[in-house]
Amino acid sequence: MKTMTKKERVFNALNRQEVDRPPVANPTSVATVEMMDLVDAPFPEACRSAELNARLAATEITEFDFDAIAPYFSIIQESSAIGCDMQWEQKDNWPTVRMSNPIWQGSSDVKVPKDFLEHKDTKVIIDSIKILRKEFGNDIPIIGKTMGPWTLAYHVFGVEKFLLGTIDNPSETKLALEKLKEFTYLFGEAQIDAGADILTVPDHATGDLVSGQYYKTFLQELHTEMAENFKVPLILHICGRTVDRMPAISETGMHAFHFDSKNKPEEAMNAVQNKIALVGNINNPETLYSKNTIEVKKEVFDCLNAGVQIIAPECAIPLKTKSENLIAITEGVSDWLSEHNKN
Amino acid sequence: MFEHEGLSKEFEFVTKESEIKHIGNSIQNTSLKMQTIAFALIQGDQDTVGELTKECLEEGISANEILDNGLLNGMSIVGVKFRDNIIFVPEVLISARAMKAGMAHIEPILSESGIEPQGKVLMGTVKGDLHDIGKNLCIMMLRGAGFTVYDLGVDTSPEDFADGFEEYQPDVIGMSALLTTTMPNMGRTIQYFEDIGLRDDVRLMVGGAPVTQEFADEMGADAYGESAVDAVEKAKELIVLLKDLRD
Ligand code: B12
Ligand SMILES: [Zn+2]
Repeated sequence: MKTMTKKERVFNALNRQEVDRPPVANPTSVATVEMMDLVDAPFPEACRSAELNARLAATEITEFDFDAIAPYFSIIQESSAIGCDMQWEQKDNWPTVRMSNPIWQGSSDVKVPKDFLEHKDTKVIIDSIKILRKEFGNDIPIIGKTMGPWTLAYHVFGVEKFLLGTIDNPSETKLALEKLKEFTYLFGEAQIDAGADILTVPDHATGDLVSGQYYKTFLQELHTEMAENFKVPLILHICGRTVDRMPAISETGMHAFHFDSKNKPEEAMNAVQNKIALVGNINNPETLYSKNTIEVKKEVFDCLNAGVQIIAPECAIPLKTKSENLIAITEGVSDWLSEHNKN
Repeated sequence: MFEHEGLSKEFEFVTKESEIKHIGNSIQNTSLKMQTIAFALIQGDQDTVGELTKECLEEGISANEILDNGLLNGMSIVGVKFRDNIIFVPEVLISARAMKAGMAHIEPILSESGIEPQGKVLMGTVKGDLHDIGKNLCIMMLRGAGFTVYDLGVDTSPEDFADGFEEYQPDVIGMSALLTTTMPNMGRTIQYFEDIGLRDDVRLMVGGAPVTQEFADEMGADAYGESAVDAVEKAKELIVLLKDLRD
């Protein structure tokens, strides 16, 4: 097969079509401290300045030779623009929302601030995408990211309060999600206009917190609607144990699901029945963070043998991940291919 | 099985041999009223738990009996169901809220009666980490099991833990971390206690999803707990250990 561009490769994989080699990408984040030092773009500044953001994001191509660039590293840019109480942290930790101090009580408080898309912390991603588009041209896919309403609800209402509400007053929960999805659309569309080819939608209705039924009750419809309305392919991201909800996720019409190492590649492939592409699922805290390249490659092989379409770490990688372990992902794919082609 | 039909149904979710024995024995000879409290707690029905607890106290049933035979029996089943993925965090949160409704009547009486608590535990999520759902569940189970628990909240530095130690004089300190970036702060806290000469005065336990027994050993922690149920077991063991150490 003729060599594909990175973009053709990723798009074919998202559409579950043939590829010259399985693509490697991380739809959540590959920011590491090593890279921050290399290109002099440390956290938290790299989350708040478009130039630094683009510079750090570019290392996904220049240093690791992955097949896509994903410039939105955290999950808090919208929440900051909405006005949540923020803790920006330093180079070796992720910025975060202080959820013990939520800004809203219920659905009636949900309002889009006038300057939502002009706020420093949303604009940084939009501008970074523009910079990257210019720098890398059209053959390298850019993956934007826009938070789903469930994740935003954690930030604006506080996790425990929001989860209690799902039992006390589920119709109020639905109303809140319905209103919060406005942010998902606004920020997503703005990134598409800026040049994003694909969007990741993190929406953490994880098996570590809620049942599979919750996904069906509160989110399946909203996600289906997003798949219809956005003009670019969507990658849903939910970490933790999710096989119980994968059949529902596979029905949404989204292009792909980014899954966690708590689900074996094979059982995940069985659960989605080729109705959605899978992206994943190299373990972060143990394998990428503290094991060696041999172990990383072993997990790459497990994914490829199961038929996972895009090879990726399971979620935002630990900031102190060693570069050699990330490079080993791409190398693992090459090793697998040469073994495969021999037979 | 038990007099209360709903509770008997709930008990079917307990499947481990040792737990069937332990929890089963604990419920077996309790009154229908205690079983109703346990059941209401599992359902997360805070009004019923609150009202029944008050009613029982007025009838002269002791606070301890209501705690042991009603609230805690309910909470044990909640803990098992959560661990075994039968229920999830929202369901545990409403049970915790119901537990609180009962404890609001019981706590003042227990503290007046001067009954010695199981021990004192100081809990916190380590520096740089804001995840607290797991830590809060541990606190709930520890309180339920009769420990006095002080909560330092999230983003707790080694110095904060040391200040907390000075203030509350706990037997056990529990640290929680959910991020690989913040896990090393557990080790730093342990080292800090060494540095200021307090290491032998307290037992340190650690937990949180990415933490493992190996990691705990490497850092020099005294115990690792993998769930809220486990946190109670480990705290009990550590207190025995500390007593031996002190004697
Ligand atoms: C809910 C959640 C959040 C919530 C936290 C809300 C809150 N108030 O706690 C929000 C959305 C805010 C959040 C934010 C972030 N999160 Co988060 N989050 C989770 C999630 C989905 C579930 C964690 C949880 O509550 N589990 C349920 C509880 C009950 O389980 P538990 O905490 O493990 O606790 C049990 C046991 O471990 C034990 N235990 C816990 N503590 C202790 C202590 C002792 C002493 C003992 C004995 C036992 C014990 O008992 C508990 C009960 O059984 C996990 C995914 C996962 N699979 O774990 C990611 C996860 C932890 N988050 C992650 C990340 C990256 C983040 C962010 C950095 C994202 C970002 N880019 O902004 C921020 C960081 C914020 C910060 N600085 O802390 C990553 C961590 C990756 C890594 N390896 O480091 C995870 C693993 C997701 C992933 N797969 O990558 N998160
Ligand atoms: Zn994730």
